[in-house]
Amino acid sequence: MAGFATKRLGKELSKINSNSLPPGIELVSADNFEEWFLDIRVLDDNPLYLNQIYRLKFRFSAQYPIEPPEVTFVKLADRPIPIHPHIYSNGIICLDLLGQQGWSPVQNVESVCMSLQSMLTGNSRNERPAGDEEFVRGNRLRPKDIDFYYDDNNV
Amino acid sequence: MSKSQQLKEEGNRHFQKGDYVRAEALYSQALILDPSNPALYTNRAMARLRLSLWDSVITDCDSCLRITPDNLKAHYYLSQAHLALRAYPDALDHAHKAHKLCVASQDRSLSNITAQVLKCKKEKWDYEEKRRKRETSTLEEEMLVLLKKEKEQMLESSEEGEREELTREFDEKIARLREVFEKAREKEEKRREVPEWAVDDITFGFMVDPVITKTGKSYERAAILEHLSRSQTDPLTREPLLKSDLRSNLDLKHACEEFLEENGWAADW
Repeated sequence: MAGFATKRLGKELSKINSNSLPPGIELVSADNFEEWFLDIRVLDDNPLYLNQIYRLKFRFSAQYPIEPPEVTFVKLADRPIPIHPHIYSNGIICLDLLGQQGWSPVQNVESVCMSLQSMLTGNSRNERPAGDEEFVRGNRLRPKDIDFYYDDNNV
Repeated sequence: MSKSQQLKEEGNRHFQKGDYVRAEALYSQALILDPSNPALYTNRAMARLRLSLWDSVITDCDSCLRITPDNLKAHYYLSQAHLALRAYPDALDHAHKAHKLCVASQDRSLSNITAQVLKCKKEKWDYEEKRRKRETSTLEEEMLVLLKKEKEQMLESSEEGEREELTREFDEKIARLREVFEKAREKEEKRREVPEWAVDDITFGFMVDPVITKTGKSYERAAILEHLSRSQTDPLTREPLLKSDLRSNLDLKHACEEFLEENGWAADW
């Protein structure tokens, strides 16, 4: 299925360039059809995320959007990893939407960013996932291969 | 293994390596031994496509279709060869036939053939658009020349006192003519927005063969089949969804076709 991802991403990009993204979401770079970077911030005054901007990395396989993109937060000097019970301190996100089961090909870069934005907006717990330290130390798997439990739907 | 089969396999090996000249020669040798084998014609046609030997591709595919009239590959290659020769109606006709056979046989090449249908429509429209533009600008030039000629004639045969008035009148006419053509060009550019209803939410491509799910949402057939082969769920609701739940959305298909007739650029927006 060569060309599937390239064409779709090309069209997503031209849509982004002509319609611009929703508030709080900004495209940082999309130099190729394998890796894009975006910045997001929450729009309300949730004290956990006040005045912070977070950097997201999207990695696309040739099967995108049939297969989900790999989406992680990236740590930079001015871009921390947001605190959240579903975000590990190495930037890996546990969100069913991004998993093999929960992904749908009608999702796109913009809709994923919006989901993450609202995931942060709705959170009030100042904590990492259970076992964060151990996970960050021991995990060698790609995010898509990790078997998360999506049992806690309250956060 | 028969001698012709050996030659064919050797041809395939050379094709894989990108040596299309050698592959074509080997398929030809195989065909001398086994002239009623349709696969040898389509294999040679594929090698000839790579060599841009369009007329020979057409000959091979025609030979193949005489043996097996419903040969998917033959129609697909014919479409490509006719397109290269700018024979748009034939190119589209064979692309449609290939698409129909592909859907019926559930062949894996549906995405490629769907793209070929769109490509035929796009290139046909591009070609006609170029011609329209050329004709319009020629017409504009001709009208301007005529007006200027008439202006000169009128000025020659007129009295001294009328000349200023006449010049003004003609200059206005010329400006007006230019404006009319310019407005027509602007209008052409303005209508270039793809309607959302014609765009597939999975590929973001213009729909060729939309199918509708139980929820009432339509997708490009090749795209939703690709999704269902990975996950048998409705992309919107995540409810179970099977191949057999899909129905052709013929009204939408016709609407898409109609839109493309007038707006061929949308095939690759």
